[in-house]
Amino acid sequence: MNIFERLQMLDRRWIFLVVAIAIIVPLIIPFNSKTYTTEPTEKLYRLIDSYAPAPDEKAIEKDRALLLVFTHDASTMSELFPMEVAILRHCFARNIKVFTLTFLPSAAPIMDYAINTVKEEFPEVKSGEHYVNFGYKIGALMLPIILGMGEDISEAVDIDAEGRKISSLPIMKNIKNYNEMNLIMDFSGSSAGGAWIVYARSKFGANVGAGVTAVMAADEYPYLQTGQLTGMLAGLKGAAEYEKLVDVFATNPDPAKREFSRELLKDTKYDDAITNPNIKTKFKQARIGMNAQSVAHIMIIVFILIGNIGYFITKYKQKQQG
Amino acid sequence: MFEIVSNWVAAFLTLCIFSFLYKDNPFYRFAEYLFVGVTAGYTIPLTWNMSFIPYVYRPLFLQHKFILLIPAFIGILYIFTFNRKLNWLSRYPIAFGMGMVGMGVPLSMHASVLVQMRGAMIPIESINSLLVFIGTITILLYFYFSKAHTGTYGKVVKIGIWYMMIGFGASFGYTVMARISLLIGRIQFLVSDVLHIIK
Repeated sequence: MNIFERLQMLDRRWIFLVVAIAIIVPLIIPFNSKTYTTEPTEKLYRLIDSYAPAPDEKAIEKDRALLLVFTHDASTMSELFPMEVAILRHCFARNIKVFTLTFLPSAAPIMDYAINTVKEEFPEVKSGEHYVNFGYKIGALMLPIILGMGEDISEAVDIDAEGRKISSLPIMKNIKNYNEMNLIMDFSGSSAGGAWIVYARSKFGANVGAGVTAVMAADEYPYLQTGQLTGMLAGLKGAAEYEKLVDVFATNPDPAKREFSRELLKDTKYDDAITNPNIKTKFKQARIGMNAQSVAHIMIIVFILIGNIGYFITKYKQKQQG
Repeated sequence: MFEIVSNWVAAFLTLCIFSFLYKDNPFYRFAEYLFVGVTAGYTIPLTWNMSFIPYVYRPLFLQHKFILLIPAFIGILYIFTFNRKLNWLSRYPIAFGMGMVGMGVPLSMHASVLVQMRGAMIPIESINSLLVFIGTITILLYFYFSKAHTGTYGKVVKIGIWYMMIGFGASFGYTVMARISLLIGRIQFLVSDVLHIIK
């Protein structure tokens, strides 16, 4: 019995062990790796960034906002949570008005957790002025709320998670419906975001973005190709890309460098994020994860190649033996 | 203190679930049953507090919006699904639900079919649009079963099969990435929040 035949009969638990080691080692021994940004992520970033008030404009006067919809529970948090944190960080850093909403009861605590995780770093950010958490609304009200927000957000949502009347909040100044709250970003591990494409985009022309788990990414690409999705963050990779964009532009210490530019993106000094102590771990969670992801992928590719070589050799030998 | 205890409980349950990778065992089953029980237990008071109280009890009994008696009555009819003689009554709330679905049909048709078709009919100006065009035509021909997949037609259809295989491969690659990401999330929790090996 040669090595390939032995590998064909290898106990799968050895493979589990190797994959576990391939993931644990890069997490314990951090190293820098380059994160390349893709067009769907950049488009989303640029659209959200365009909602930032001009330097001479009061944030409260701005007539643009975005809605983050949390449609997932804890099971997909490892992929979606870093995206949510990165986008909230972008919004808080650039004074962009942001709303959060969920129709899933188990997503309500995740929504609070995401807001509080980012808010710790932005003590000046206030609920009702810079952001509003609409909270959990029952799934049966999803359709009336999506359609209602096309007319008047204050009427459709009525009260926020803290029980305040939406219409009385300062953030609502110059924000009425999808004309102003012009981007809906849905985070889900399913095709739940489709409801926003069908109702908010088709009927009211709102922009829709998706933050999806990698499993769902292949299903969403056709919508991206036709422009029905403005942008998309696909799995941990998408989250890592957005984290990088926020680091390079939105939180850049130099105010002159906060606008998106391709030249700045090419600058290699932003590739040391993982070992850079000035960037908190919670803001580079996806990039740290992508290191482990890359090593695990190489291991899996090696396993697939060895498995296939072994299979063809065995088949060839069986053919020769008649 | 609470965070330390909750992290250790979560770590123990995570390891219980991972133990299934070795083989089925009582620790795995304990964690599995606990998860099912906690989910059911969590859902009941949550539905009561976040659905019944704000959307039925408060408007009806405190704000006296008696018009809500009509949808509340229709909703209660669902309960007759357990009664053999009266279960026909439960079809009324289902009919309302179907009405809501029907409302979405024209818009779904627009977003999922018409706009997607338009996307496949754009002028062929780039390699990408040429690939999309060839893929759409050959895959659609594959699903035309009134003609045998032989001869020249069979060869064209084979291109469609290749397209689908590449699509399935991409989906599988993404699935591997997603599953590894979930494992990374759990291991990050163990080495960071529980063992504090990474800060």
